[in-house]
Amino acid sequence: MKVAISYPPIINDRGQKAMVSQNRNVQFFKTPTYLLPVVHAQAATWLKKLGFQVIWDDGNAQLKSYEQWYEDLVAAAPNVIVFESTTPVMNFYWRTTSQLKQVMPNTIFIMTGYHSMRKPEETLEEAPFDIVLRSNHVDFVLSKLIPFIASNPNWRQTCDIEGLVIRDTSGKFRSTGHFRQVEPLERSPIIDRDLVSWRNYAFENGNYLQTPGTYATSVVRDCMFGKCTFCRYNGPDLTFSLLPVEKSLDEYERLINDHGVKEIFDDSGVWYRGKEAREFAEGIIKRGLHKKGCYFGFNTRFEYLDKDTIELLAKANFRFVLIGLEAADEETLIKLNKGYQLQHVERSLKWMSEAGLHPHLTVMVGYYWQTQQQLRQTVDFVKSLMFRGLARTMQVTLCTPLDYTPYHLECISKDVLLTKNYDDFDMSKLIVKTPIPHSEYYDAVKELYGIAFHPRFLLRQLRFLLTFRKRDWQFLFTYGYRAIRRVRNHIFNLTSAESTESKHQHRDANSGIAH
Amino acid sequence: MSSGLHKVIGVDLLTDLTYMLRLERNDMSFVPGQCFNLGLPDTAVNREYSSYSGVYDNELQFLIRQVEGGQVSPKFRDLRPGDAVEVDGAYGLFVIDPDLAATRKFYFIATGTGIAPFHCFAKSFRNLDYQLIHGTRHANESYHRQHYEKGRYINCATKDQNSDFHGRVTDYLLANPIPGDALFYLCGNRNMINDAYDILRSRQISGSQIITEVFF
Repeated sequence: MKVAISYPPIINDRGQKAMVSQNRNVQFFKTPTYLLPVVHAQAATWLKKLGFQVIWDDGNAQLKSYEQWYEDLVAAAPNVIVFESTTPVMNFYWRTTSQLKQVMPNTIFIMTGYHSMRKPEETLEEAPFDIVLRSNHVDFVLSKLIPFIASNPNWRQTCDIEGLVIRDTSGKFRSTGHFRQVEPLERSPIIDRDLVSWRNYAFENGNYLQTPGTYATSVVRDCMFGKCTFCRYNGPDLTFSLLPVEKSLDEYERLINDHGVKEIFDDSGVWYRGKEAREFAEGIIKRGLHKKGCYFGFNTRFEYLDKDTIELLAKANFRFVLIGLEAADEETLIKLNKGYQLQHVERSLKWMSEAGLHPHLTVMVGYYWQTQQQLRQTVDFVKSLMFRGLARTMQVTLCTPLDYTPYHLECISKDVLLTKNYDDFDMSKLIVKTPIPHSEYYDAVKELYGIAFHPRFLLRQLRFLLTFRKRDWQFLFTYGYRAIRRVRNHIFNLTSAESTESKHQHRDANSGIAH
Repeated sequence: MSSGLHKVIGVDLLTDLTYMLRLERNDMSFVPGQCFNLGLPDTAVNREYSSYSGVYDNELQFLIRQVEGGQVSPKFRDLRPGDAVEVDGAYGLFVIDPDLAATRKFYFIATGTGIAPFHCFAKSFRNLDYQLIHGTRHANESYHRQHYEKGRYINCATKDQNSDFHGRVTDYLLANPIPGDALFYLCGNRNMINDAYDILRSRQISGSQIITEVFF
């Protein structure tokens, strides 16, 4: 049996490509960032080990046009095609699958991803998918499902693997119940890097200071905290699973020694903390991996890592720490269930920057309640942190309800959503009613990205050179170029959003929609 | 949801490594099964703990096992009455639908301090129909077993003959009948959760009847 795990190139009318970014978000960008879909790569590896012919079909990373991708997939004639989707590209996947099913009527189409897992019937109604996975453990489910399909011609009626919604032979939908929330991650194989052509993802990624870089198998799936209302890693159906430290260390050792990787990032919703974080850093040092010229990075939360642990991580050659600073007012942090206090942010960042780590802030604006004062507080606070060198880089996104997260459901119940068209959920514009005009949030985003060119920020970067740390010199001369490119991308998106919205606002003024 | 400083009422030592941290409640509201983020003032580090106390209790209680070399749990143990703890919360969806609490049978399976949310359930829902299976190493880790109605708590101790059942909770599940119509809540060690899940599924329990929360 031939199984394709497929990521079609998705190009919008502005000529931008849909790129999977942090936490499986999709955003459209002209400048590419290729992220290895780690869990699906584990699934591909597992299926190959089970003896199935696996096609790793990432049209984006393989630089194919949509037409080329489509033709190649049809020519390959897989028995099963697995897609991963999220809210802003649902329509695309429904259209594409409808077309493909016409030319490949016997192929089994499986949809995965956080949108369809919460609305499986919707996808089965909108497109001729055969199965929707309700589980985030795509590797574990596919490793059971594909062999079952291969050996049971009557699988539509008989398969009872948990966490599936199946279109049965009469066309009705059959649920096999709630999916298994916790899986022993150590049983999922370490990714076969050759199978997924890892070098396709090794260079075009803003998180890497050195290349080739790669994403490691996530040690936490998906998030140890899992309570933030806007995040897809939150829901009554989700808890977390943990990969043992030693197994992750084994993979790092292989990536460095066998593949020559120079930067490794773990995109777990949050990485290890406490005992496991210390064990990991000690393991890196014990194996001598901290002296191989490879940097390490991860996502974390404020108040998860203490000073001693941070210093140990720095000693183990960790560099990039991606950390959410969603707002600078307590009311918003409480509404978002963030679970950290603003008063501790500076201290955490100070520990990191003093140890030589490069904290990267992920900032959000445009919550449906966010006032001018709250927005100003966030902008001023982030600028202050950046000017003082407490954070090295940052990204700003427009908070967009997605994937039926608690924030998404809240927006629906409070009737603040301005659109029901999933195409509009692409994070390029605000789609919720807000107390101040949307242009204020866009201006805030531009102001924040403008930090990169501010003399105070540049001066601070020059002062970092006095530490004579290699990474600080690399930061200024390597990363700077990429940062400017990324900033231009964001500004382009916002300028486009503003021009589109000004047309809509003119129209909405007549229909009475308040922004 | 709120955050603020709460005064320590006391720290009750239960075993060598496990203790109950008791804090003033300060009108903090929560749903049974939810957790809070606790941290010492000005340390900029916190950890999540499920409420051990019930919603009708006047104080907040947390069942904590000290992590060797840990940055947080050993410091909580040294707190004295009147000291302050930062409390954020409550969070989480490991909860019971109040309508189901009155009509369904519940089967709670825990290891170690994973018993905390079940203690909270037992104290919060009156007339809850439940069976609690609690895995520990020693029988003296069956914290506050007198708080549960007679016959509802079963301690499974691996290193102690002097318990309700000698062995792991999974051994208990394999050796005993399981109510097919119950809702199963699993909390604690992830390996136990994995093994218990397999056993329940092998007994034809649907995945929709199983709710899990990993502690460690």
